[in-house]
Amino acid sequence: MAPKSCALCQNSKAILRRPKTGQHICKHCFFTVFETEVHNTITQAHLFKPGDRVAIGASGGKDSTVLAYVMKTLNDRYQYGLNLFLLSVDEGITGYRDDSLETVKRNQEQYDMPLKIVSYEELYGWTMDRVVSAIGKKNNCTFCGVFRRQALDRGASGLGVDQIVTGHNADDIAETVLMNIMRGDIGRLGRCTAICTQGEDRIRRSKPFKYAYEKEIVMYAYFKKLEYCSIECIYFPDAYRCLARAFLKDLEAARPSAIIDIIHSGEAFELKEEVRATQKSQHSCKGCGYMSSDVLCMACFLLEGLERGMPTAAITDKGRRELEARWSTRTT
Amino acid sequence: MMAEFCGNPAVEAGEVLMPRKRKFDRSRICVKCKINPGNLVIRHSVYCKGCFTPLIFTKFHQALEPYINHVSVGPRRGALKPSGALLIGFSGGLGSSVLLDLVYQRYCANVGSDNLKGGREHPRKNKVWQKIYVCYVEVSDIFPETSDRTAQIREAIARYDGFELIPVRIQDAFDRTWWERVSGGAAPDLAGLPFDLGGGDSEPVAALQTHIRALPTPTAILSTLSTLTRLLLLYTAYSVSASHIVLGTSLTSLSISLISSISQGGGFVVPQAIQEEWFPQFVQRTIGDTSWNGEVRLVRPLRDVGMKECTAWVWWHQLLVVGKQRIPVPKQTIGDLTKNFIIGLERDYPSTVSTIAKTVGKLAPRGDSRVRCVLCELPTQQFVQRWKSRTSIRSFTDDASSMDTATSSLPHYLCYSCHTTLTSKSARSTATLNLHSSNSAPALNLPMWAATRLALELGSEQSVGPGAPANEIWETKKLDDGGMKSLVGEFLLENE
Repeated sequence: MAPKSCALCQNSKAILRRPKTGQHICKHCFFTVFETEVHNTITQAHLFKPGDRVAIGASGGKDSTVLAYVMKTLNDRYQYGLNLFLLSVDEGITGYRDDSLETVKRNQEQYDMPLKIVSYEELYGWTMDRVVSAIGKKNNCTFCGVFRRQALDRGASGLGVDQIVTGHNADDIAETVLMNIMRGDIGRLGRCTAICTQGEDRIRRSKPFKYAYEKEIVMYAYFKKLEYCSIECIYFPDAYRCLARAFLKDLEAARPSAIIDIIHSGEAFELKEEVRATQKSQHSCKGCGYMSSDVLCMACFLLEGLERGMPTAAITDKGRRELEARWSTRTT
Repeated sequence: MMAEFCGNPAVEAGEVLMPRKRKFDRSRICVKCKINPGNLVIRHSVYCKGCFTPLIFTKFHQALEPYINHVSVGPRRGALKPSGALLIGFSGGLGSSVLLDLVYQRYCANVGSDNLKGGREHPRKNKVWQKIYVCYVEVSDIFPETSDRTAQIREAIARYDGFELIPVRIQDAFDRTWWERVSGGAAPDLAGLPFDLGGGDSEPVAALQTHIRALPTPTAILSTLSTLTRLLLLYTAYSVSASHIVLGTSLTSLSISLISSISQGGGFVVPQAIQEEWFPQFVQRTIGDTSWNGEVRLVRPLRDVGMKECTAWVWWHQLLVVGKQRIPVPKQTIGDLTKNFIIGLERDYPSTVSTIAKTVGKLAPRGDSRVRCVLCELPTQQFVQRWKSRTSIRSFTDDASSMDTATSSLPHYLCYSCHTTLTSKSARSTATLNLHSSNSAPALNLPMWAATRLALELGSEQSVGPGAPANEIWETKKLDDGGMKSLVGEFLLENE
């Protein structure tokens, strides 16, 4: 059978089947469409302005490594005028972060970007290994996610940046939409497809890879010969998100456009007005000043629970009320 | 005797045995009457057989009766006065069978009897529905591997006095005779349209088979059949002056279909997946007019009743369930995957099914839309093609800004879901459809309602010019220099 020509340029030989569209295309066209789609995402959403200081959340994994490369490429090609930094978080998970932090340090040299590393140990006094030994393997993603979010904000604040960009890809966003529907988390459902989020006292964050398929990010890294660490968190298999991810992979196998279709669905709906009115308003945490819809932010609740030997109390509303009462007693 | 240690060296002794999860919250006594021992556990609550039946009736009429009157009379319940007849969409499945029985028990059995309880406005005192139809859509002509079940359906419905069966065949969607009968008008002339809407198939079965062969995935086939069935029910309801359609979608089926719809890009129309108000495209409605003009309200009265409760109802009331027709598709569809996933999740995370339905019930479409998709007749968002071309580049020559305004191309008239259904391929798809150009191969046959709407839209454009409103008359003439100067003359300085 004669080799197929690239469906886009019609000139070169097609060497890959694009996961998102199923088209048979050449390497050069793949780079072009991948980068152009990210550029479209950035320009359509007006993510940056010239002179912005932007921190790239870097874990050493494929998403953030490719993100750093693509941001640098597009910044040079389209003259965004950005000052780029790498920002990494050490969660204190033995065997998980050691190699990936080395990768981030190599990225710093390769892309010539300043690097800052913040750790859970120095910010909170707890590593994830210690947290998991206290709470077991359920709900640990809640702790890690909350702690990481604040850690990134605090690290970015230390760098004096205007915005954080993270490597959240289309697969992440699609599984978040499904997860929030299945768990009834309407607060997050209303925000999870937003490309850019910002609240009071919080640094703006955006997701340039919002429409980029995970498989295409891997393919891009492969063809560009980019170095990254491919290690899954050892606590991940027990997570609820893992179930949603497995379902999403099945959907993608049945119809590859399912991932982008779910994102489109998530963008197409919003909370009913009467439901929005019942959502809690945001104000500052009394513990650390971070943005919160409660007296204490979630990180402070989780830490309070850990310190008092009630590690999972903060997961429930009743537990949080009890912790708040104890915290109030302690601080008055 | 319980073992103390399972022998697994990785597990410490004493931590092996997992406490047995309780199936119910309190005791084995019925939570409603608190007298009888329970017979069934519904989401951790125990019910006896005697309390189960009124519970299901309550859920049924609370989900249906607020929507019976054309205009709501407010929180105080008044007389139930529907504008037209009732049509029950019947598939032969579990939910449909339970629905049929509930409708009969509530609105037909013992009507007019003075011996039963209930106030003056109770449905049993006066007949609510003047006529009740049951509509069944048969698909066996399209799939030779399946058998015609119309006779079995007729037998199942014959048990209920006063229900009239309307059998419809799925290929009627492509039948000009059927269309002329339900729409009351002539079928459209498709000649001269800028793209091919027919491959020369005038026979409905062949036309539908051509349409199905052109679909790229098994998911698209099931999605298309579901859309055709829904529109056939709606148009049939309109043709018999039915103001309401009820479907037997249980809570479990509803949750599965919501996730499945979201996975196929149907987020904009999720509220319609729960309840829908529809009118045919050829009916003109005036804003502010509250009278009934043939609109059909599609309600799902079993949306709070789970699959387990439906099964219990069938068992205790000894109903005959024909079973739902299984469509033979080669591979797993998004619908199948979603069903397996949701039912599996329910085992480890109970209340997932009810949580999904409740969560989606709190959502509304983002933005307004007065335009409907020609294929599914559901509201469609603007700039769908532009969004698609920006997020998935398929060509270096397509102009994104012109895609949404290219009125001579079919995608302009489709919603996101329908466009995806017709074009989104899997790795093994062989069918290809190019919707953006005319003379495409293979040809795409469209159902009669879609072809009629396109003929109206495009026919009126061709006679008066693209972008022009259909009923106005436009005259154009070129302005010369003298004409233009006369318009701006008063602003010109003397030396111009």
